[in-house]
Amino acid sequence: MSAFHFDGLVWHWPIAIYLFLAGLSAGAVFFAIMLKHFKLADKAYLSPFVQAAAVIAPVAVCAGLGILVMDLTKPLAFWKILVFYNPSSVMSMGVLVLLAYQVVLFAWIGSVFSSPIQQWLKQRLPLLSKLLALLARHEDVITGVLVILSLSLGAYTGFLLSALIGFPLLNNPVLPLLFLISGLSSGAAATLLGGVLMRGNPNGVEVRFIHRIEIPMILVEIMLLFTFFVGLILSGGQSEVAALNAIGEGFWGWIFWGGVVGVGLTLPLAFNLWMKVSSDRKFAYVAVTASFSLIGVLLLRNFILYTGQMTGV
Amino acid sequence: MSVYTVTKAPQANTSEQDSGLKYAMVHDENLCIGCNACEDACREVNHVPYGVTRVKIERSGPFGEYPDQSYRFIRHSCQHCEAAPCVKVCPTGAAYIDKETGIVAVNEDRCVGCQYCIAACPYQIRFINPETKVADKCDFCQQTQLSEGLQPACVLACPTNALVFGNLKDPDSALVKTLKSKPTYREKVDLGTRPKLFHVRTIDGEIVL
Ligand code: SF4
Ligand code: SF4
Ligand code: SF4
Repeated sequence: MSAFHFDGLVWHWPIAIYLFLAGLSAGAVFFAIMLKHFKLADKAYLSPFVQAAAVIAPVAVCAGLGILVMDLTKPLAFWKILVFYNPSSVMSMGVLVLLAYQVVLFAWIGSVFSSPIQQWLKQRLPLLSKLLALLARHEDVITGVLVILSLSLGAYTGFLLSALIGFPLLNNPVLPLLFLISGLSSGAAATLLGGVLMRGNPNGVEVRFIHRIEIPMILVEIMLLFTFFVGLILSGGQSEVAALNAIGEGFWGWIFWGGVVGVGLTLPLAFNLWMKVSSDRKFAYVAVTASFSLIGVLLLRNFILYTGQMTGV
Repeated sequence: MSVYTVTKAPQANTSEQDSGLKYAMVHDENLCIGCNACEDACREVNHVPYGVTRVKIERSGPFGEYPDQSYRFIRHSCQHCEAAPCVKVCPTGAAYIDKETGIVAVNEDRCVGCQYCIAACPYQIRFINPETKVADKCDFCQQTQLSEGLQPACVLACPTNALVFGNLKDPDSALVKTLKSKPTYREKVDLGTRPKLFHVRTIDGEIVL
């Protein structure tokens, strides 16, 4: 039994990347909305961080969906998922959320960036500028709906796996919450990284705002991971065996302690705390911290997907 | 034993009315000799490609001292769960329970190959058919033998009559008589899937704690 090939393995790493990208997209949008609402108001479209999120969110969710479709054994039949629905299927409901999310996401981007786009259009394409004006007028509603959809999307990736009743490590009520929080933190990291790469000020209000949320978020994530594994161990039997196998010795144990806990949580937490006391944030600190968080969340997705499937009862 | 006239095209019948039919199967591990005739017959009748299979007989043992040695043979195939996880998770309804017969079947036209059902089946007996690219598994020969009014291929092929197939709702059927005369067990009942594949446990197999 090797780490990437074993009996009973059904879903491979492309699914982990899809889970990662969907959560990242939801998280980026969530933080862009928070930035606009609490800090930037009407000037939001000028912020490189909001701009970065507006690029990252649609690209990530579309790339994720592309990977998902390519991973079907009949990719050309993917439209059947859109036509037929099964209300008891988490995947079916997730596809609905994903579709609605994408539509509302583009509507939100249109409304937030309507004034620069209008300027650029200069009365060309009157239909499009009418649509943008309409979106801008309803920005409140669009934003509210998008917050709900992004949180649903973030949790959905966890529900998708927790519906697999034969695997104690996956069939776990903490998993959707863990995926939601780690997805949000990957979105925050992607927004920060994209923002500073687009010449955003590494010491600006946006970075300070996100970093303030990031510290409690990392602490919550650590708590959830702890609850997740302690819960499994305390329930005994197969769950205990599964949990101890996953975080014990061996390849995935290393990934968990070194990658997820070390690189993904401890280092970003330490950097964040350190940046809080030092008054000045530099490009390199922000970029490195964000990259570590991203790597950690990507590893977490792979770790859960693979070790989860190793533990069939 | 009665002849089975049922079986329609996939999802032809979705009404709730009681058809008086519910198919199930018993595998008597004491009678099974592990000859694999069931797997071969199934492969031939249902055109199952090599490398995958709808039914597998797993052998464990030997138990006891020579010359009194014995093996245990366990049948692995679809359990035709009453509360089927594969049906619950399938996004397109391609995995479904035929209301008229209780058979858990796959509608090939609807399956997109997302493999969610394969991951969801706690018995790990689903697979992607390498030729059709569609989720595949035992369907009690619904589309082959049953539609001809015959017993499933594996049942007919078994030289020791270790397999009994029939209608759970018919008290006079050989199936119900077997279930009433021998103690049976079902796999992983604690998951709440309510399987309709019953096993008669080997008497002199190993004792596992
Ligand atoms: S055994 Fe697996 S494939 Fe068969 S009905 Fe149950 S869950 Fe579905
Ligand atoms: S592989 Fe086919 S039958 Fe299985 S869940 Fe996906 S669409 Fe349904
Ligand atoms: S009932 Fe039919 S499909 Fe199922 S294992 Fe037997 S021969 Fe194969």
